[in-house]
Amino acid sequence: MIRIENLHKRYGDLEVLKGIDLHVKPGEVVCIIGPSGSGKSTALRCINRLEEPTSGRIVVDGHDVMDPATNINAIRSETGMVFQQFNLFPHMSVLDNVTLGPIKVRGAARAEAEELGRALLKKVGLADKADKYPEQLSGGQKQRVAIARSLGLKPKVILFDEPTSALDPELVGEVLEVMRQLALEGMTMVVVTHEMGFAKEVADRVIFIDEGRIQEEAPPGEFFSNPKNPRLRDFIGKVVSHE
Amino acid sequence: MAFHFEPSVVIETIPLLMRGLKLTIFITVGGLFFGFMMGAVAGLMKISRNFWARKTAGFYIECIRGTPMLVQAMFLYFGVPMAMGIRIHPLAAGIMVIAVNSGAYIAEIVRGAVQSINVGQAEAGRSIGLTRFQTMRYVIWPQAFKRMIPPLGNQFIISLKDTSLLMVIGVGELLRTGQEIVAVNFRAFEVYLAVALVYLAMTLSIAKGLRILEHRLHMRTQR
Repeated sequence: MIRIENLHKRYGDLEVLKGIDLHVKPGEVVCIIGPSGSGKSTALRCINRLEEPTSGRIVVDGHDVMDPATNINAIRSETGMVFQQFNLFPHMSVLDNVTLGPIKVRGAARAEAEELGRALLKKVGLADKADKYPEQLSGGQKQRVAIARSLGLKPKVILFDEPTSALDPELVGEVLEVMRQLALEGMTMVVVTHEMGFAKEVADRVIFIDEGRIQEEAPPGEFFSNPKNPRLRDFIGKVVSHE
Repeated sequence: MAFHFEPSVVIETIPLLMRGLKLTIFITVGGLFFGFMMGAVAGLMKISRNFWARKTAGFYIECIRGTPMLVQAMFLYFGVPMAMGIRIHPLAAGIMVIAVNSGAYIAEIVRGAVQSINVGQAEAGRSIGLTRFQTMRYVIWPQAFKRMIPPLGNQFIISLKDTSLLMVIGVGELLRTGQEIVAVNFRAFEVYLAVALVYLAMTLSIAKGLRILEHRLHMRTQR
């Protein structure tokens, strides 16, 4: 579904990504962890080219993302994205947030899009919030709307960029629950996260990125119980002692 | 000869000014209509990815903001027709001057408002597959427009007052109408006071109207 080969990204003299290789199979849930500033979010944002890669190759669902002939908008509509800061459209109702993509990108009729939108809001447990505005929602509710918005395009893969990092601790669970549900339904997901519990339980594969490189890559059992990389051991030690 | 203030002259003058006021309003509204379009285009060009679009808009904005409007009006009305061998109707010239002049200031208002919208909004728009244009049209612009209202109101008031400069190119607007009345009755104090009161009534109403509009727009996202 996603194939990244030798991805490099530099900002001026600062090389953030120093050659990332990553393959994600359809239906797979891959969690990416790592210290802040390690380049994990940058790598994720390169996949739908919100970040312009410096070099390397990224193929999403058979389309070369970096080929100038590729319609990047079409790829993005197949590649959902959920942001740390939600980025809901504050001037639109919750329902309009979800239907904007289906109407403007897919060309759906309003009635049809609204039916889809309400179904998706119900799926994330917010059927009763359709006519509210984002600022009337809690952080957890906003993020669930953002997930519904990305689902509106019926994407083949969803990229999550630290989806629970901006949430109050008591609101993290409701978002993870929705993500867990998506994983169960077979959605392909790449999740940059600090939620070790989620990674352990839901991921098919966990990846540790540090200093712009993938340092370790393993199924969660092996990844957490028997980390080989000393930096990862250190990182897990620090994070777990906090939990 | 001692000066004797005659309040009744002020009262009597105001109805006589209405003809000029109509023209002032017409020029202001017409000028700002085109000025907003020019400003929106120039403001968006200023933040475009295209180098020449940015430079062109920058040149326009700097030239207009760096020269007095009185000079612009005289150049357009007396200078340009001489060079091009055409005649411009004073009213058309007046509207053009207001449009070109306000456009430069509105461009900066538009640019500032658009740039003030969190970059995450554009990213979210692009991430669901909207084109750059659609993202601007449906996501950025509606939010930016709301932020433009207070400074646009300010520009509205400035442009209204600036129309008084157009008397030099023979537009029979409010101030010129007052001047013509003074030429007949020599009551400069009362007549120009009446002129000032009419301008003041206009600007205060605009300010009030804008506060109501802003409040309404605010309410709409609150609900």
